[in-house]
Amino acid sequence: MRVEWTPMRWPAGWTDPATLSLLNGTAINYLLIDAKPEFEEVRSQARQQGLRVGDPAELPAGIRAIKGEWAGVRMQRGGDGASAGPTGVAWVDSNGWAVRLAAAMHPSDAIWVMAPPPDKSVNSGDSYLVTFCDSAAHGGRWVIALDEALAAGLAAGKAASLACWKRLCAAAGLFAAHQDWPDLAALSTLGVISDFAGEHEFFGGELLNLLARAGQHYRILIKDKMPLSALSGLRAAIYADAAPAAPALRDQLLAFVQAGGLLITHPKWGGPATLPAAAEDHPRFMLHTAGKGRIALAKDPDPDPYLWANDAAVLISHRYDLVRFWNGGATGSLYTVSPDRKRAVVHLLFYADRGPDAASIRVTGQYRTAQIWSAGEAAAQSVKMISQKDAVEVHLPQVSQYVALELEA
Amino acid sequence: MQCRHTRRQWLTTAAGALTGTWLARAAPAPTAPVAVSRCRTYDPAELVPALQTMFDQLGGLGRLVKGKTVAIKINLTGAPTYRIGHLPLEDTHYTNQHVIAATVHLMGKAGARRIHLLESPWSTADPVEEYILQANWEPREILGAAQNVEFENTNYLGRGKKYSRMKVPFGGYIYPAFDLNHSYEDCDVFVSLAKMKEHATAGITLSMKNCFGLTPATIYGTGAGIDEPSVAPKGGRGMVHGGDRQPSKSAPAEKDPSTPRIDTYRVPRTVVDLISARPIHLAIVEGVKTMTGGEGPWVFGDLQPVAPGVIVAGLNPVTTDAVSMALMGFDPMADRGTPPFERCDSTLKLAEDAGVGTRDLKRIEVIGTPISQAVFDFAGMRKRRRSIPPPPVGIRG
Repeated sequence: MRVEWTPMRWPAGWTDPATLSLLNGTAINYLLIDAKPEFEEVRSQARQQGLRVGDPAELPAGIRAIKGEWAGVRMQRGGDGASAGPTGVAWVDSNGWAVRLAAAMHPSDAIWVMAPPPDKSVNSGDSYLVTFCDSAAHGGRWVIALDEALAAGLAAGKAASLACWKRLCAAAGLFAAHQDWPDLAALSTLGVISDFAGEHEFFGGELLNLLARAGQHYRILIKDKMPLSALSGLRAAIYADAAPAAPALRDQLLAFVQAGGLLITHPKWGGPATLPAAAEDHPRFMLHTAGKGRIALAKDPDPDPYLWANDAAVLISHRYDLVRFWNGGATGSLYTVSPDRKRAVVHLLFYADRGPDAASIRVTGQYRTAQIWSAGEAAAQSVKMISQKDAVEVHLPQVSQYVALELEA
Repeated sequence: MQCRHTRRQWLTTAAGALTGTWLARAAPAPTAPVAVSRCRTYDPAELVPALQTMFDQLGGLGRLVKGKTVAIKINLTGAPTYRIGHLPLEDTHYTNQHVIAATVHLMGKAGARRIHLLESPWSTADPVEEYILQANWEPREILGAAQNVEFENTNYLGRGKKYSRMKVPFGGYIYPAFDLNHSYEDCDVFVSLAKMKEHATAGITLSMKNCFGLTPATIYGTGAGIDEPSVAPKGGRGMVHGGDRQPSKSAPAEKDPSTPRIDTYRVPRTVVDLISARPIHLAIVEGVKTMTGGEGPWVFGDLQPVAPGVIVAGLNPVTTDAVSMALMGFDPMADRGTPPFERCDSTLKLAEDAGVGTRDLKRIEVIGTPISQAVFDFAGMRKRRRSIPPPPVGIRG
């Protein structure tokens, strides 16, 4: 993934080139400015300052824009409470899955997320921070876009607006200073196999979205581009497409199961016509033993991605959770490691309106040191770490909605 | 270890605890001995002998469980992802897993045929094993503590074919009967293995209040079905707390919907209904480490971890809770208006009135460590806490 650019959509009301001074000392280096005459002077001066300027309607090659959501806990209409999923868990809007999917399908492109602020009078600095970090933690970049009130407040030099801006720019600066983070490989317990296109696009994408919400760490496997090693190191694979797998993929999946893996799929996935009798009882899956592994066949021919995501977490077992949170509220994480696995960066996202004051994080693996990187902090901060069997537990102080936990073995 | 009671005494006290009939109401509520032991740590080397001694003091575990199917209701209140500060849940508001494992081990050793560990985890039909993994527990340490040990999630139908109708022998304060997961009926011996805590609604939560969680949320929860139980539980038991609706129509409705729709009235009464419908043969209250100020991290107020270093066990839940209250520095004879029942009715008094057991310490034999030597002053801390303004509203760790 390419992350050299920190893009910003230039506000419609900022026709005065003096507003470019707001970018001084920030990581923002790519401006998307409307091709209207009133911005000509802004464009000109931006280029003179070394900034890249582009037309929002015409992004250059190598940059792939995806339509995203304003990240965070979704509030109910009227804003008086958090919307909830079917089991009462707060509903989180995140673009992490979409960034990772776009990157998996277009690995040489930079992934930019287009997600303008919601149409309301004031969006808090915290919500800007969450939206930025949600994309950046997953290797993309949110195209910074300001609501009218913030843009006007910044132009007028209002203190509250400047504080919000400072917070956002600090987050952008943090990721700009760590452009190596996206090069680390994501650790996963589960592979999700689909072509993520056509009739499978919605189910596959929604499954990724909901698996992340269920705390699962997945590897995106594009059906027709799977190398032989695609399933190595995984405990489970979901074959998500309604169409049967091609023979080669079917054989690859059966070999994975024989070796001890869990395959979660539907009866028409293309596997053997007969399987041993179901060995375990599950309300929504028939669980068949095959070799050292299991095949979980969905009973419902029209599966619900929400149920699949939550069932997958239990079918695999929380025993194998790579990251566990306490006191995190609505959380997300991406666990990345260096090739020698001696260094890890675990991106921790807290989607509520404010960060937690005493979150604990359990990360699978053995490490000797732990430190956190936060927006606005120039240096890493060491944190308390307790070694456990096959894992470490880290105790965070009061933090914002995003923390990069860096661990060294 | 010396047995302090004959079999006849044992059976008499156990039966007395179970009846709760009009006859029992006419007579003084039954009593039963309560064993108290200091236990400073969860180290099995200290824990197992302490529990063994207590069970021996109560007449021996073998008499109760040998050849029997034992159901143990543990307390895993609230989601496993919430802690007080960075402290493990088992050190503050969950029944500690080492106490569970030690109890299971001793029951297996005493000849229990099967041991079912029961809980209704918050808002999920997932297996209890998966729930406690999220609390950072290892289920195998409990499942391996004896033979034939199983967990069952009782917050829904679970492994049963149908819900078990459990009637309240004395007619009930709120509910005349409950539809519960089959495990509460399919057992010979029922054990409440609770944590020693205060409770925001009921004043205290000990062996009786632990049984509030018997109710499946599919019938008594926020997302319960209207006509039939829902398939999976959703949310808490607001219906039982506030009485804003009736259980699923398939289950017995409340006796009198005109009674107060106030949780401080309803919860203590419902608890007594539950422990009458599903009598407790052995009550264990674990207070090695716990918390003050409420029953879990979600309670608003100054919550503090504490280490009373005590375990209480008895054959009658009311006598056991009465001794536990005394160990917490509270008067078990306290009624509404007196700590810890400033705002609520006393579950103990209601249970005593229903003939389940006495709360009068003068009538309760305390075996082992005297109360005076093991008291931990929850009451004093409560008084001090209530004399200062509450902390500002914020996200609790």
